[in-house]
Amino acid sequence: MNCNELRDHYELYTIGLADEPERSEIRSHLNRECEVCMEGMRRARETAALVGAAAPPATPSAKLRRRILASAGFEQPRGFGWAPALAGALAFSLIACVYFAGRQRDVARELDRVTSISRQQNMDLTRLNEAFSIINGADTRVTTFGDGQSKPPSGRIFASPSQGVLLIASNLPQAPAGKAYEMWVIPKGGKPLRAGMFQSSSDGTAMHVQRGRVDPNADLVAVTLEDEAGVDAPTTTPLFATPIRGIIP
Amino acid sequence: MMLLPILMAVQIRADDSGLVARMQRRDPQALAELYDRYGAVTYSLILRVVRDTGIAEDLVQETFLRVWNRVSGFDAQKGSIGPWLLAVARNRAIDYLRSAGGRERNAVEYEETDHPSLYCDMEKDILASDKARKVKSAIDKLPANYRQVIELAYFEGLSQTEMAARMGQPLGTVKTWVRTALKNLRDELAVVSV
Repeated sequence: MNCNELRDHYELYTIGLADEPERSEIRSHLNRECEVCMEGMRRARETAALVGAAAPPATPSAKLRRRILASAGFEQPRGFGWAPALAGALAFSLIACVYFAGRQRDVARELDRVTSISRQQNMDLTRLNEAFSIINGADTRVTTFGDGQSKPPSGRIFASPSQGVLLIASNLPQAPAGKAYEMWVIPKGGKPLRAGMFQSSSDGTAMHVQRGRVDPNADLVAVTLEDEAGVDAPTTTPLFATPIRGIIP
Repeated sequence: MMLLPILMAVQIRADDSGLVARMQRRDPQALAELYDRYGAVTYSLILRVVRDTGIAEDLVQETFLRVWNRVSGFDAQKGSIGPWLLAVARNRAIDYLRSAGGRERNAVEYEETDHPSLYCDMEKDILASDKARKVKSAIDKLPANYRQVIELAYFEGLSQTEMAARMGQPLGTVKTWVRTALKNLRDELAVVSV
């Protein structure tokens, strides 16, 4: 097909909806760096962005910004009741350090340490709040796995159709460097759905929260060991796969 | 009015290329600024697709982390981060919608369409440009059936075959509507570009 025949299909290709044979033809033109098609695709990507930006305006919750920064490993969430007390303790420790040691370098080191602890505690608190929300949900059901096994892993799964899935596990070996655990919610007869990445602690325990509605056809919750960047489908044998069918109403 | 301009929500306070360069140096403040500039428009797009505020926030988080983790492949001088961010956001949302609906996912297609290297040589600050307002206006002015196919494609990720089934129309009719609607948008952009 020539470029003129493909011009009506650039936008659909851009948003992943082009039919065959146009999709293969456009890909072929792009692979041989066809200037007409490359320019057409550039314009189509502009159009797609502009249509996307025309969605009705909505405002996310204020906590989303903190969540994103915390999940990237930056900035501490604010607004918890014990934060002022922590700030006071921080100030006190700062003054004490100055008074007793009189060395600015020591103060800075202490400040870094306490700030780091504060950041980690806040992240943990956010996760705990999410976990408690699921545990206390009116529609939450619980199932256990690994009972009676002498080796790992074992634990409990809390599934709330309206809020998400909480996994609490023990005896999970630490993932090798570059690897992490990935949880999957597997619908009956369907493809596994990604349910987030997590790591186990040094003592082999883990808590992982996947927020959002649970597929009503959910049949199993499974965990696999994957590259830490995550994958779209499991590539390794699950460490465990626990039936949740029946606990989702 | 069904669609209201969100374009004013895009706060362009400084050159995006500097922001991208700082993200590539792993400056956490740059991630915060990226969110301040594009968080609202990203959330609006995703919410329009999934129609659930909790899920939308989860997907916004995924979107920003994906961009943060892949920004090294982005051309800070020639790239246009707003359109790239929205492409990632749309793909995340449509992928969720298809998974939740038991529809076939096409992760390979998404990988092809939101690769950072593709978002080069676009107009600077295009999301706050006159083009953006024109496209918004052009969508509002489309006849109802044309506007519906545009929304089904962009915001629900339906193929033309799926649209025909959803709308109860022959496939050929739907293809004509899609082609005409997209041509209208193209023509509107062409007028602005002249």
